Amino acid sequence: MAYSLGIDIGSVTSKGVIVDGNEIVAHTVIPSGMNYREAANRLRDDLREKSRISFEDIRSIASTGQGADRVEFSQKKIDNIRCCARGIRSVFESVKTVIDVQGQLSQVIRINEHGRVSGFVVSEKCAAGSGRFLQIIANILRVDLNDIGELSLRAQNPVTFTTGCAVFSESEAISRVSEGFSKEDILAGVHRSIANKISVLVDRIGMEQEVAITGGGGLDIGLIAAIEEKVGITLKVPDNPQIITALGAAIMAAEV
Amino acid sequence: MTKVVIIDMDDAIRSVIIGPTGPEHRHQANEVMKAALENMQVPFERIEYCVATGYGRINVPFADRQITELTCHARGVAHSFPGVRTAIDIGGQDAKGLKIKDGKLLDFVMNDKCAAGTGRFLEVLSEKLGIAVEDLGSMSMKSQQKVTISSTCTIFAEQEMISYLSEGTSVEDIIAGLHDAIASRVVRMVKRLKIEPDVVLTGGVAKNIGVVHAVQETVGLDIHVPDNPLISGALGAALLGKEIFLQAKERNETLERKKRQLEDTVTFYT
Repeated sequence: MAYSLGIDIGSVTSKGVIVDGNEIVAHTVIPSGMNYREAANRLRDDLREKSRISFEDIRSIASTGQGADRVEFSQKKIDNIRCCARGIRSVFESVKTVIDVQGQLSQVIRINEHGRVSGFVVSEKCAAGSGRFLQIIANILRVDLNDIGELSLRAQNPVTFTTGCAVFSESEAISRVSEGFSKEDILAGVHRSIANKISVLVDRIGMEQEVAITGGGGLDIGLIAAIEEKVGITLKVPDNPQIITALGAAIMAAEV
Repeated sequence: MTKVVIIDMDDAIRSVIIGPTGPEHRHQANEVMKAALENMQVPFERIEYCVATGYGRINVPFADRQITELTCHARGVAHSFPGVRTAIDIGGQDAKGLKIKDGKLLDFVMNDKCAAGTGRFLEVLSEKLGIAVEDLGSMSMKSQQKVTISSTCTIFAEQEMISYLSEGTSVEDIIAGLHDAIASRVVRMVKRLKIEPDVVLTGGVAKNIGVVHAVQETVGLDIHVPDNPLISGALGAALLGKEIFLQAKERNETLERKKRQLEDTVTFYT
Protein backbone atom coordinates (compact mmCIF):
# COMPACT_ATOMS: atom_id res chain seq x y z
CA MET A 1 0.00 0.00 0.00
CA ALA A 2 1.13 3.53 -0.68
CA TYR A 3 -0.43 6.06 1.57
CA SER A 4 0.35 9.72 1.85
CA LEU A 5 0.08 12.05 4.80
CA GLY A 6 -0.80 15.72 5.04
CA ILE A 7 -0.04 17.72 8.17
CA ASP A 8 -1.53 21.17 8.75
CA ILE A 9 -0.11 22.91 11.82
CA GLY A 10 -2.39 25.86 12.51
CA SER A 11 -2.10 28.56 15.14
CA VAL A 12 -4.93 27.03 17.17
CA THR A 13 -5.38 23.41 15.98
CA SER A 14 -3.25 20.94 14.08
CA LYS A 15 -4.72 18.52 11.60
CA GLY A 16 -3.45 15.31 10.04
CA VAL A 17 -4.97 13.34 7.18
CA ILE A 18 -3.83 10.03 5.64
CA VAL A 19 -5.09 9.35 2.14
CA ASP A 20 -4.99 6.48 -0.27
CA GLY A 21 -5.22 8.30 -3.59
CA ASN A 22 -8.05 10.75 -3.01
CA GLU A 23 -9.71 8.67 -0.31
CA ILE A 24 -9.39 9.65 3.33
CA VAL A 25 -8.17 6.68 5.38
CA ALA A 26 -7.68 8.42 8.72
CA HIS A 27 -7.77 11.93 10.10
CA THR A 28 -7.31 13.73 13.38
CA VAL A 29 -7.52 17.23 14.90
CA ILE A 30 -5.59 18.23 18.02
CA PRO A 31 -4.84 21.55 19.77
CA SER A 32 -1.51 23.01 18.57
CA GLY A 33 -0.35 24.24 21.95
CA MET A 34 2.81 26.32 22.28
CA ASN A 35 5.21 23.91 20.60
CA TYR A 36 4.52 23.16 16.93
CA ARG A 37 7.17 20.46 16.70
CA GLU A 38 5.57 18.59 19.54
CA ALA A 39 2.14 19.05 17.95
CA ALA A 40 3.42 17.43 14.74
CA ASN A 41 4.78 14.45 16.66
CA ARG A 42 1.54 14.06 18.60
CA LEU A 43 -0.40 14.12 15.33
CA ARG A 44 1.79 11.36 13.95
CA ASP A 45 1.32 9.18 17.05
CA ASP A 46 -2.39 9.85 17.10
CA LEU A 47 -2.80 8.87 13.45
CA ARG A 48 -0.69 5.76 13.89
CA GLU A 49 -2.98 4.61 16.66
CA LYS A 50 -6.19 5.51 14.84
CA SER A 51 -5.31 4.05 11.47
CA ARG A 52 -3.09 1.11 12.46
CA ILE A 53 -0.99 2.06 9.46
CA SER A 54 2.73 1.70 9.93
CA PHE A 55 4.82 4.73 9.04
CA GLU A 56 6.83 2.66 6.58
CA ASP A 57 3.72 2.38 4.44
CA ILE A 58 3.43 6.13 4.13
CA ARG A 59 5.32 7.10 0.98
CA SER A 60 4.94 10.81 0.95
CA ILE A 61 4.41 13.44 3.60
CA ALA A 62 3.70 17.15 3.12
CA SER A 63 3.23 19.84 5.72
CA THR A 64 1.42 23.16 5.57
CA GLY A 65 0.07 25.88 7.86
CA GLN A 66 1.80 28.27 10.21
CA GLY A 67 3.99 25.54 11.73
CA ALA A 68 4.84 23.76 8.46
CA ASP A 69 8.58 24.26 9.09
CA ARG A 70 8.42 22.48 12.42
CA VAL A 71 7.30 19.14 11.04
CA GLU A 72 10.59 17.25 11.18
CA PHE A 73 9.37 14.23 9.26
CA SER A 74 7.85 16.26 6.41
CA GLN A 75 9.25 15.76 2.91
CA LYS A 76 7.92 19.00 1.48
CA LYS A 77 6.16 22.15 2.49
CA ILE A 78 3.19 23.39 0.52
CA ASP A 79 1.45 26.74 0.79
CA ASN A 80 -1.82 26.48 2.77
CA ILE A 81 -3.88 28.27 0.13
CA ARG A 82 -3.01 25.74 -2.57
CA CYS A 83 -3.67 22.90 -0.12
CA CYS A 84 -7.07 24.33 0.82
CA ALA A 85 -8.07 24.69 -2.85
CA ARG A 86 -6.89 21.19 -3.67
CA GLY A 87 -8.58 19.69 -0.64
CA ILE A 88 -11.95 21.26 -1.31
CA ARG A 89 -11.90 20.24 -4.99
CA SER A 90 -11.38 16.64 -3.98
CA VAL A 91 -14.60 16.85 -1.97
CA PHE A 92 -16.66 19.19 -4.16
CA GLU A 93 -15.54 19.12 -7.79
CA SER A 94 -17.29 22.26 -8.91
CA VAL A 95 -16.34 24.69 -6.15
CA LYS A 96 -14.90 27.95 -7.52
CA THR A 97 -14.68 30.01 -4.33
CA VAL A 98 -13.62 28.98 -0.82
CA ILE A 99 -14.26 30.96 2.36
CA ASP A 100 -11.72 29.66 4.84
CA VAL A 101 -12.38 30.80 8.42
CA GLN A 102 -9.53 29.83 10.71
CA GLY A 103 -8.70 30.44 14.35
CA GLN A 104 -6.64 33.55 13.64
CA LEU A 105 -7.44 34.59 10.11
CA SER A 106 -10.00 34.45 7.35
CA GLN A 107 -9.34 34.14 3.65
CA VAL A 108 -11.25 33.88 0.43
CA ILE A 109 -9.71 31.77 -2.33
CA ARG A 110 -10.75 31.72 -6.00
CA ILE A 111 -10.23 28.53 -8.00
CA ASN A 112 -10.26 28.42 -11.81
CA GLU A 113 -11.70 25.72 -14.05
CA HIS A 114 -8.43 23.77 -13.95
CA GLY A 115 -8.57 23.59 -10.16
CA ARG A 116 -5.76 26.12 -9.76
CA VAL A 117 -5.77 29.04 -7.37
CA SER A 118 -6.50 32.15 -9.44
CA GLY A 119 -6.55 34.65 -6.59
CA PHE A 120 -6.96 35.03 -2.86
CA VAL A 121 -7.36 37.64 -0.18
CA VAL A 122 -6.38 37.19 3.45
CA SER A 123 -7.45 39.10 6.54
CA GLU A 124 -4.88 38.41 9.23
CA LYS A 125 -4.18 41.80 10.78
CA CYS A 126 -7.30 41.89 12.92
CA ALA A 127 -8.82 39.29 15.22
CA ALA A 128 -12.36 40.42 14.51
CA GLY A 129 -12.76 38.51 11.25
CA SER A 130 -11.51 35.23 12.66
CA GLY A 131 -12.55 32.45 14.98
CA ARG A 132 -10.65 34.22 17.72
CA PHE A 133 -13.43 36.77 18.04
CA LEU A 134 -15.96 33.99 18.68
CA GLN A 135 -13.67 32.44 21.24
CA ILE A 136 -13.45 35.71 23.17
CA ILE A 137 -17.20 36.24 23.24
CA ALA A 138 -17.96 32.57 24.01
CA ASN A 139 -15.63 32.93 26.95
CA ILE A 140 -17.53 35.93 28.32
CA LEU A 141 -20.86 34.20 27.87
CA ARG A 142 -19.46 30.99 29.33
CA VAL A 143 -20.71 28.88 26.47
CA ASP A 144 -18.90 26.03 24.76
CA LEU A 145 -17.61 26.83 21.26
CA ASN A 146 -19.46 23.77 19.99
CA ASP A 147 -22.80 25.15 21.16
CA ILE A 148 -22.61 28.67 19.76
CA GLY A 149 -23.99 27.79 16.34
CA GLU A 150 -27.27 26.41 17.60
CA LEU A 151 -27.66 29.10 20.24
CA SER A 152 -27.14 31.81 17.66
CA LEU A 153 -29.82 30.40 15.37
CA ARG A 154 -32.33 30.81 18.19
CA ALA A 155 -31.73 34.56 18.48
CA GLN A 156 -34.83 36.77 18.50
CA ASN A 157 -33.22 40.14 18.29
CA PRO A 158 -29.51 40.05 17.32
CA VAL A 159 -27.29 42.64 18.96
CA THR A 160 -25.54 45.16 16.70
CA PHE A 161 -21.88 45.80 17.47
CA THR A 162 -20.86 49.37 16.74
CA THR A 163 -17.26 48.65 15.74
CA GLY A 164 -15.54 45.76 14.01
CA CYS A 165 -12.94 45.51 16.78
CA ALA A 166 -12.83 42.39 18.97
CA VAL A 167 -11.58 44.35 21.99
CA PHE A 168 -14.29 47.00 21.79
CA SER A 169 -16.90 44.33 21.02
CA GLU A 170 -15.86 42.42 24.13
CA SER A 171 -16.79 45.42 26.29
CA GLU A 172 -19.97 45.92 24.30
CA ALA A 173 -20.91 42.28 24.85
CA ILE A 174 -20.38 42.69 28.59
CA SER A 175 -22.63 45.77 28.62
CA ARG A 176 -25.32 43.90 26.65
CA VAL A 177 -25.15 41.01 29.13
CA SER A 178 -25.68 43.41 32.03
CA GLU A 179 -28.57 45.03 30.16
CA GLY A 180 -30.23 41.64 29.99
CA PHE A 181 -29.69 40.66 26.34
CA SER A 182 -29.70 36.89 25.83
CA LYS A 183 -26.65 34.84 24.93
CA GLU A 184 -28.44 33.90 21.73
CA ASP A 185 -28.83 37.53 20.65
CA ILE A 186 -25.23 38.40 21.48
CA LEU A 187 -23.83 35.40 19.62
CA ALA A 188 -25.97 36.14 16.60
CA GLY A 189 -24.56 39.67 16.69
CA VAL A 190 -21.01 38.34 16.69
CA HIS A 191 -21.81 36.04 13.78
CA ARG A 192 -23.17 38.98 11.81
CA SER A 193 -20.13 41.04 12.65
CA ILE A 194 -17.76 38.32 11.35
CA ALA A 195 -19.99 37.78 8.31
CA ASN A 196 -19.65 41.49 7.53
CA LYS A 197 -15.86 41.26 7.60
CA ILE A 198 -15.94 38.19 5.36
CA SER A 199 -18.30 39.85 2.95
CA VAL A 200 -15.77 42.69 2.57
CA LEU A 201 -13.15 40.09 1.60
CA VAL A 202 -15.55 38.48 -0.87
CA ASP A 203 -16.28 41.86 -2.44
CA ARG A 204 -12.58 42.55 -2.82
CA ILE A 205 -11.72 39.34 -4.68
CA GLY A 206 -15.12 38.56 -6.19
CA MET A 207 -16.77 35.16 -6.19
CA GLU A 208 -18.07 32.54 -8.50
CA GLN A 209 -20.47 29.75 -7.57
CA GLU A 210 -20.23 27.23 -6.09
CA VAL A 211 -18.91 28.57 -2.80
CA ALA A 212 -17.66 26.36 0.04
CA ILE A 213 -16.66 27.10 3.61
CA THR A 214 -13.65 25.47 5.26
CA GLY A 215 -11.71 25.81 8.50
CA GLY A 216 -13.10 25.73 12.03
CA GLY A 217 -15.67 28.34 11.00
CA GLY A 218 -17.33 25.64 8.89
CA LEU A 219 -18.31 23.82 12.09
CA ASP A 220 -20.42 26.75 13.25
CA ILE A 221 -23.92 26.65 11.76
CA GLY A 222 -24.68 30.09 13.15
CA LEU A 223 -21.73 31.60 11.29
CA ILE A 224 -22.64 29.71 8.12
CA ALA A 225 -26.18 31.08 8.25
CA ALA A 226 -24.90 34.62 8.86
CA ILE A 227 -22.48 34.45 5.90
CA GLU A 228 -25.15 32.95 3.64
CA GLU A 229 -27.53 35.76 4.54
CA LYS A 230 -24.96 38.55 4.20
CA VAL A 231 -23.38 37.36 0.94
CA GLY A 232 -26.62 35.98 -0.48
CA ILE A 233 -25.43 32.48 -1.33
CA THR A 234 -25.75 28.89 -0.18
CA LEU A 235 -22.50 27.51 1.16
CA LYS A 236 -21.31 23.99 0.52
CA VAL A 237 -20.06 22.56 3.79
CA PRO A 238 -17.75 19.52 3.82
CA ASP A 239 -18.24 16.87 6.51
CA ASN A 240 -14.96 17.82 8.13
CA PRO A 241 -14.31 21.46 7.23
CA GLN A 242 -11.30 21.71 9.56
CA ILE A 243 -9.22 19.05 7.79
CA ILE A 244 -9.61 20.23 4.19
CA THR A 245 -6.21 21.95 4.04
CA ALA A 246 -4.47 18.89 5.53
CA LEU A 247 -6.37 16.75 3.03
CA GLY A 248 -5.09 18.89 0.17
CA ALA A 249 -1.55 18.57 1.54
CA ALA A 250 -1.90 14.78 1.70
CA ILE A 251 -3.10 14.56 -1.91
CA MET A 252 -0.38 16.91 -3.17
CA ALA A 253 2.30 15.09 -1.16
CA ALA A 254 2.01 12.12 -3.53
CA GLU A 255 2.43 14.29 -6.62
CA VAL A 256 5.87 15.11 -7.93
CA MET B 1 -13.24 60.37 32.03
CA THR B 2 -15.36 63.45 32.61
CA LYS B 3 -13.51 66.73 33.07
CA VAL B 4 -14.61 70.16 34.28
CA VAL B 5 -12.55 73.30 33.75
CA ILE B 6 -13.68 76.66 35.10
CA ILE B 7 -11.82 79.77 33.90
CA ASP B 8 -12.11 83.41 34.82
CA MET B 9 -12.32 86.37 32.43
CA ASP B 10 -8.52 86.50 32.24
CA ASP B 11 -8.42 82.91 30.95
CA ALA B 12 -6.87 81.71 34.19
CA ILE B 13 -7.88 78.22 35.19
CA ARG B 14 -9.70 78.40 38.52
CA SER B 15 -10.91 74.87 39.00
CA VAL B 16 -10.19 71.48 37.43
CA ILE B 17 -11.94 68.24 38.27
CA ILE B 18 -11.43 64.89 36.52
CA GLY B 19 -13.64 61.93 37.35
CA PRO B 20 -14.50 58.62 35.74
CA THR B 21 -17.42 58.82 33.30
CA GLY B 22 -19.17 55.56 34.05
CA PRO B 23 -22.39 54.50 32.36
CA GLU B 24 -24.53 57.37 33.67
CA HIS B 25 -23.37 60.52 31.89
CA ARG B 26 -25.98 62.84 33.35
CA HIS B 27 -25.30 61.68 36.85
CA GLN B 28 -21.58 62.10 36.42
CA ALA B 29 -21.90 65.56 34.88
CA ASN B 30 -23.71 66.72 38.01
CA GLU B 31 -21.19 65.08 40.31
CA VAL B 32 -18.08 66.60 38.72
CA MET B 33 -19.73 70.02 38.41
CA LYS B 34 -20.61 69.95 42.09
CA ALA B 35 -17.02 69.04 42.96
CA ALA B 36 -15.61 71.76 40.70
CA LEU B 37 -17.78 74.42 42.32
CA GLU B 38 -16.92 73.24 45.82
CA ASN B 39 -13.27 73.24 44.90
CA MET B 40 -13.49 76.86 43.79
CA GLN B 41 -15.88 77.98 46.53
CA VAL B 42 -18.29 79.84 44.25
CA PRO B 43 -22.03 79.46 43.79
CA PHE B 44 -23.25 78.02 40.48
CA GLU B 45 -24.93 81.33 39.54
CA ARG B 46 -21.52 82.92 39.10
CA ILE B 47 -20.81 80.71 36.09
CA GLU B 48 -21.70 83.00 33.20
CA TYR B 49 -21.69 80.44 30.44
CA CYS B 50 -21.28 76.70 30.25
CA VAL B 51 -20.19 74.69 27.19
CA ALA B 52 -20.26 70.89 27.05
CA THR B 53 -18.14 68.80 24.67
CA GLY B 54 -17.11 65.19 24.10
CA TYR B 55 -19.13 62.06 23.35
CA GLY B 56 -21.55 62.73 26.22
CA ARG B 57 -22.02 66.45 25.57
CA ILE B 58 -25.78 66.17 25.08
CA ASN B 59 -26.05 64.58 28.51
CA VAL B 60 -24.99 67.65 30.46
CA PRO B 61 -28.29 69.06 31.75
CA PHE B 62 -26.93 72.49 32.71
CA ALA B 63 -24.86 73.18 29.57
CA ASP B 64 -25.86 76.30 27.64
CA ARG B 65 -24.32 75.04 24.43
CA GLN B 66 -22.70 71.94 22.95
CA ILE B 67 -19.59 72.18 20.79
CA THR B 68 -17.81 69.23 19.16
CA GLU B 69 -14.70 67.91 20.85
CA LEU B 70 -12.51 68.60 17.82
CA THR B 71 -13.23 72.33 17.85
CA CYS B 72 -12.81 72.53 21.62
CA HIS B 73 -9.68 70.47 21.53
CA ALA B 74 -8.02 72.63 18.89
CA ARG B 75 -8.84 75.72 20.93
CA GLY B 76 -7.59 74.24 24.20
CA VAL B 77 -4.31 73.01 22.75
CA ALA B 78 -3.67 76.30 20.96
CA HIS B 79 -4.20 78.13 24.24
CA SER B 80 -1.41 76.12 25.91
CA PHE B 81 0.83 76.10 22.81
CA PRO B 82 0.03 79.00 20.45
CA GLY B 83 2.41 77.64 17.78
CA VAL B 84 0.71 74.25 17.51
CA ARG B 85 0.18 72.95 13.98
CA THR B 86 -0.38 69.27 14.72
CA ALA B 87 -2.15 67.91 17.78
CA ILE B 88 -2.21 64.21 18.54
CA ASP B 89 -4.73 63.08 21.11
CA ILE B 90 -4.64 59.51 22.41
CA GLY B 91 -7.60 58.83 24.64
CA GLY B 92 -8.90 55.74 26.31
CA GLN B 93 -11.11 54.69 23.42
CA ASP B 94 -9.95 56.63 20.40
CA ALA B 95 -7.09 58.55 18.86
CA LYS B 96 -7.21 61.72 16.82
CA GLY B 97 -4.88 63.83 14.78
CA LEU B 98 -5.72 67.52 14.35
CA LYS B 99 -4.28 70.00 11.92
CA ILE B 100 -4.44 73.43 13.51
CA LYS B 101 -3.57 76.93 12.34
CA ASP B 102 -3.96 80.03 14.50
CA GLY B 103 -5.99 78.05 16.96
CA LYS B 104 -8.49 76.95 14.32
CA LEU B 105 -9.12 73.38 13.23
CA LEU B 106 -8.22 72.82 9.56
CA ASP B 107 -8.50 69.05 9.22
CA PHE B 108 -8.49 65.90 11.31
CA VAL B 109 -8.12 62.12 11.21
CA MET B 110 -9.57 59.77 13.75
CA ASN B 111 -9.68 56.15 14.84
CA ASP B 112 -12.45 54.95 17.09
CA LYS B 113 -13.03 51.65 15.32
CA CYS B 114 -10.02 49.65 16.46
CA ALA B 115 -8.55 49.38 19.95
CA ALA B 116 -4.97 49.31 18.64
CA GLY B 117 -3.50 52.81 18.74
CA THR B 118 -5.76 53.91 21.60
CA GLY B 119 -5.30 53.86 25.36
CA ARG B 120 -7.35 50.71 25.38
CA PHE B 121 -4.43 48.82 23.82
CA LEU B 122 -2.20 49.64 26.81
CA GLU B 123 -5.03 49.07 29.27
CA VAL B 124 -5.72 45.53 28.02
CA LEU B 125 -2.07 44.55 27.81
CA SER B 126 -0.96 46.07 31.12
CA GLU B 127 -3.78 44.20 32.82
CA LYS B 128 -2.43 40.96 31.35
CA LEU B 129 1.00 41.86 32.70
CA GLY B 130 -0.50 42.67 36.08
CA ILE B 131 0.96 46.17 35.97
CA ALA B 132 -0.89 49.43 36.66
CA VAL B 133 -1.19 51.62 33.54
CA GLU B 134 0.33 54.50 35.54
CA ASP B 135 3.56 52.54 36.01
CA LEU B 136 4.12 51.66 32.34
CA GLY B 137 5.98 54.88 31.52
CA SER B 138 8.63 54.67 34.21
CA MET B 139 9.10 50.93 33.68
CA SER B 140 9.65 51.29 29.94
CA MET B 141 12.40 53.84 30.55
CA LYS B 142 14.42 51.06 32.17
CA SER B 143 14.32 48.95 29.03
CA GLN B 144 17.71 47.79 27.75
CA GLN B 145 16.69 46.18 24.50
CA LYS B 146 13.12 46.76 23.50
CA VAL B 147 11.24 44.13 21.52
CA THR B 148 9.33 44.62 18.29
CA ILE B 149 5.61 43.92 18.47
CA SER B 150 4.67 43.12 14.88
CA SER B 151 0.92 42.64 15.35
CA THR B 152 -1.36 45.59 14.95
CA CYS B 153 -4.39 43.96 16.57
CA THR B 154 -4.52 44.17 20.37
CA ILE B 155 -5.54 40.52 20.62
CA PHE B 156 -2.67 39.31 18.47
CA ALA B 157 -0.23 41.63 20.26
CA GLU B 158 -1.29 39.99 23.50
CA GLN B 159 -0.23 36.61 22.11
CA GLU B 160 3.04 38.04 20.90
CA MET B 161 3.61 39.52 24.33
CA ILE B 162 2.97 36.18 26.01
CA SER B 163 5.41 34.40 23.75
CA TYR B 164 8.07 37.03 24.57
CA LEU B 165 7.39 36.47 28.25
CA SER B 166 7.76 32.71 27.84
CA GLU B 167 11.10 33.29 26.11
CA GLY B 168 12.24 35.14 29.22
CA THR B 169 12.22 38.67 27.79
CA SER B 170 12.10 41.31 30.54
CA VAL B 171 8.80 43.06 31.22
CA GLU B 172 10.51 46.44 30.73
CA ASP B 173 11.62 45.50 27.20
CA ILE B 174 8.14 44.27 26.35
CA ILE B 175 6.48 47.44 27.64
CA ALA B 176 8.89 49.57 25.61
CA GLY B 177 7.89 47.49 22.57
CA LEU B 178 4.20 48.10 23.27
CA HIS B 179 4.85 51.85 23.44
CA ASP B 180 6.56 51.72 20.05
CA ALA B 181 3.60 49.77 18.67
CA ILE B 182 1.01 52.29 19.81
CA ALA B 183 3.19 55.21 18.64
CA SER B 184 3.72 53.77 15.18
CA ARG B 185 0.03 53.00 14.76
CA VAL B 186 -1.06 56.50 15.78
CA VAL B 187 1.68 58.32 13.87
CA ARG B 188 0.89 56.35 10.70
CA MET B 189 -2.65 57.68 10.92
CA VAL B 190 -1.68 61.27 11.74
CA LYS B 191 0.84 61.32 8.87
CA ARG B 192 -2.14 61.50 6.53
CA LEU B 193 -2.38 65.15 7.66
CA LYS B 194 1.31 65.88 7.03
CA ILE B 195 2.85 66.43 10.44
CA GLU B 196 4.24 69.94 10.98
CA PRO B 197 5.73 71.49 14.12
CA ASP B 198 4.78 72.38 16.75
CA VAL B 199 3.48 68.95 17.62
CA VAL B 200 1.48 68.57 20.82
CA LEU B 201 0.48 65.29 22.39
CA THR B 202 -2.58 65.16 24.66
CA GLY B 203 -5.07 62.69 26.12
CA GLY B 204 -4.61 60.28 29.00
CA VAL B 205 -1.90 58.36 27.17
CA ALA B 206 0.24 61.53 27.01
CA LYS B 207 0.79 61.05 30.75
CA ASN B 208 2.88 58.03 29.84
CA ILE B 209 6.45 59.25 29.38
CA GLY B 210 7.32 56.08 27.47
CA VAL B 211 4.70 56.79 24.80
CA VAL B 212 5.79 60.44 24.60
CA HIS B 213 9.35 59.31 23.87
CA ALA B 214 8.16 56.69 21.38
CA VAL B 215 6.02 59.24 19.51
CA GLN B 216 8.92 61.69 19.51
CA GLU B 217 11.21 59.06 18.03
CA THR B 218 8.66 57.99 15.42
CA VAL B 219 7.75 61.53 14.33
CA GLY B 220 11.30 62.84 14.51
CA LEU B 221 10.18 66.19 15.95
CA ASP B 222 9.98 67.60 19.46
CA ILE B 223 6.73 66.67 21.16
CA HIS B 224 5.10 69.13 23.55
CA VAL B 225 2.84 67.87 26.31
CA PRO B 226 0.61 70.20 28.36
CA ASP B 227 0.88 70.12 32.16
CA ASN B 228 -2.48 68.46 32.33
CA PRO B 229 -2.92 66.56 29.04
CA LEU B 230 -6.44 65.38 29.90
CA ILE B 231 -8.18 68.74 30.04
CA SER B 232 -7.46 70.28 26.62
CA GLY B 233 -11.00 69.65 25.37
CA ALA B 234 -12.68 71.00 28.50
CA LEU B 235 -10.33 74.00 28.57
CA GLY B 236 -11.16 74.74 24.93
CA ALA B 237 -14.86 74.52 25.75
CA ALA B 238 -14.40 77.00 28.60
CA LEU B 239 -12.46 79.43 26.38
CA LEU B 240 -15.07 79.21 23.62
CA GLY B 241 -17.78 79.72 26.24
CA LYS B 242 -16.10 82.87 27.44
CA GLU B 243 -15.89 84.19 23.86
CA ILE B 244 -19.58 83.54 23.29
CA PHE B 245 -20.43 85.33 26.52
CA LEU B 246 -18.24 88.38 25.80
CA GLN B 247 -19.47 88.66 22.23
CA ALA B 248 -23.09 88.69 23.37
CA LYS B 249 -22.29 91.24 26.04
CA GLU B 250 -20.64 93.52 23.48
CA ARG B 251 -23.67 93.32 21.18
CA ASN B 252 -26.03 93.72 24.08
CA GLU B 253 -27.71 90.41 23.29
CA THR B 254 -29.20 88.21 25.95
CA LEU B 255 -27.84 84.73 25.96
CA GLU B 256 -30.15 81.87 26.56
CA ARG B 257 -28.92 80.05 29.60
CA LYS B 258 -29.94 76.89 31.35
CA LYS B 259 -31.00 76.97 34.95
CA ARG B 260 -27.97 76.99 37.22
CA GLN B 261 -29.11 74.01 39.20
CA LEU B 262 -27.65 70.59 39.80
CA GLU B 263 -30.06 67.70 39.52
CA ASP B 264 -30.58 65.49 42.50
CA THR B 265 -28.21 62.70 41.84
CA VAL B 266 -29.60 59.24 41.60
CA THR B 267 -27.25 56.42 42.38
CA PHE B 268 -27.74 52.71 42.01
CA TYR B 269 -26.04 51.98 45.27
CA THR B 270 -28.47 53.43 47.79
